[in-house]
Amino acid sequence: MSFPGDIRREQEFDPLAVFREGFGFVPNLVRAQTALPRVMAAHAKLEEAVTFRDGAISRIHKERILLSIAADRRDNYCLALDSGLLSSLGVPEVQIDDLLNAFPRANLLPPDLALLEFCLKLSRNASSVRYQDIEALRANGFRDEAILEAVVVTALALYRCTLSAALAPEPDFRPPNLPPKKNQVASDASLRTAPSDIRPNVGQKGPYLPAPYLSPNSFTPLAVVQKSHGFIPNFFRAQTLRPDLLQAELEAVGAILLPEDFLTRVQKESILLTVSVANLNSYCVAIHCNLLRGLGLSAEEADQIAVDHHLSHLSKADIALLDFAVKLGTRFSEFSREDAAGLQNLGFGQEQILESIVVTALNNFSNTLQMGLGIEPDFAPPSVLEKNKLNLSGPQPTLMARGGPVQVFETLQDVDSELVAQAQSGNLQAFEELVRRHTQLIYRALIAILRDSADAQDALQDTLLSAFKHIGGFQGRSKFSTWLVSIARNAALQRLRGRRNMESLDQNDSQEDHDFRPRQIAAWQENPEQNHSKSEIRQLVERGLLQLPAKYRIIVMLRDIEQLSTDDVAHQLGLTVPAVKTRLLRGRLMLREWLAPHLTTSARGAAQ
Amino acid sequence: MITCDEFFAEFADYLENQVSPEVRQELELHLSQCRVCHVLYDSSRKTIKIVSESNSFELPQKVFDPIIDRVMSKLRTERS
Repeated sequence: MSFPGDIRREQEFDPLAVFREGFGFVPNLVRAQTALPRVMAAHAKLEEAVTFRDGAISRIHKERILLSIAADRRDNYCLALDSGLLSSLGVPEVQIDDLLNAFPRANLLPPDLALLEFCLKLSRNASSVRYQDIEALRANGFRDEAILEAVVVTALALYRCTLSAALAPEPDFRPPNLPPKKNQVASDASLRTAPSDIRPNVGQKGPYLPAPYLSPNSFTPLAVVQKSHGFIPNFFRAQTLRPDLLQAELEAVGAILLPEDFLTRVQKESILLTVSVANLNSYCVAIHCNLLRGLGLSAEEADQIAVDHHLSHLSKADIALLDFAVKLGTRFSEFSREDAAGLQNLGFGQEQILESIVVTALNNFSNTLQMGLGIEPDFAPPSVLEKNKLNLSGPQPTLMARGGPVQVFETLQDVDSELVAQAQSGNLQAFEELVRRHTQLIYRALIAILRDSADAQDALQDTLLSAFKHIGGFQGRSKFSTWLVSIARNAALQRLRGRRNMESLDQNDSQEDHDFRPRQIAAWQENPEQNHSKSEIRQLVERGLLQLPAKYRIIVMLRDIEQLSTDDVAHQLGLTVPAVKTRLLRGRLMLREWLAPHLTTSARGAAQ
Repeated sequence: MITCDEFFAEFADYLENQVSPEVRQELELHLSQCRVCHVLYDSSRKTIKIVSESNSFELPQKVFDPIIDRVMSKLRTERS
């Protein structure tokens, strides 16, 4: 996975020049990142596209947003920077003071005030943003491009503030005096709690802004992410209104997350996952769980990092790294230099610590953007994230109960859990009831591997005995049915090993990359299944399934015959969702080719 | 209008009903004008329906009952 095009361009890109041009100098916040030039370049790309480039809202609008958020978070470094910049843009001191004190008194036009209020709300408590808030901005005359830009500027403010909390650079300007802390000033907790806003979303769920179709063929950055992720996450699709901002983000993401010269991708994805959990951002939790699986972690391990990384199999040092990131990402005011020193004592180098800080900043950027745009999930969040298991502080019940733009941690109570508990305490009747519920699923998982009915029946017996023997070890981290399928797969694979000419389940993905374009392009009958008896159709489908490569067969059977969700199939097979989607499509297309000769308008008679 | 390649890139998500309204609009415009993609889409949808409703590899109760009974009696014997 790489962004070769970007790396080449990176050599010609001078981040310091970007800041000199945009600010007139290089801020100390940027200089503090010199140990890792590629993250400095990523920061420059973001600032260049978001802050410096002329967009739908003016530079002064943007600086006002940045300053208000910095003041709200009492980030002395950023508020000195932003008030210095506003002053250099010709904004009178008195207006800057007003912004610092309590912005409603600032001499602003009502639309400008509405925009600031929106951005502050998003920065303080992203999950309270609703579609109505977007509508209110439109009513104030803001175009969708401007709203998108304001959301991205807010996200950038949090990127900067996260960096500044950790890097504590010397201010570039003399910091202005802030009024004493008032109640309304953001505390860490208020970023995550929603004191009064429990309004449901009215009108539209999400995404809040229109996103014109942008083809990966004509917009290469999307093709790159499609290649690296296996699909284009909604996170990026939702921003196509502004391809320039999208491109800068994709480049920053590539420069920060993909190289493995200091932190590994697993370490970085784990940071993104745990900080997103702490921010209650289920969209980002789901996507990073999936990416971790794509990096070779088992589904259980990835889920465990989300539920409580302290109980995962990560090393002591990695757990400390995640604690560091969560503290920085969510309890920034408690953060101090000692936190970084703690990591150093565990053997982390200067570059690794810097990288973890930048990844945390990027996470807060993405979490804010996702909530501000109401981006819909690509996948269901991991089913194990039940609220009682979440390692979170704060009043989550309110958050849970709220029908927000993003469902915060879908609670998926496994329907089997009660019977499982009884079976675990030795109740045979409960066990029998459980396996009867899932006999068809187990059998289909078995025959998908063994391709022989008698063999699958024998393996069914092995599976049931093995399930009973091991049920005490089932910890409820996945659904019980998922666990049963994994027992069944083991039983089937054991049998296969006894056979000659074993069919490999793990053929290399590259082998399958030949064209899956349709060869049969004759139109099909209107209701093809009505021209054949049910048993003819069933035989035809069964024979078609048996001739599919094994890795497609099991996925088509679980998804289309057992009707499991793509996410459940991914869990059961320990695959990423994109991998399941790819194989499912290929399996379906191969079956289509198989069925076509029997079902086109020119085909007649029986299914032979 | 988008090309067949672009249509195909979105095809998996379209079959699963997982595309945004904007993407859907583009895809449907393409479908209305491209016979080959239309056949591909129509027959793929029918394939999914046929496979889903085929009851393939359903194990009849008269086959699995004795298997479960055998397992349960084995477990009961082991217990006593």
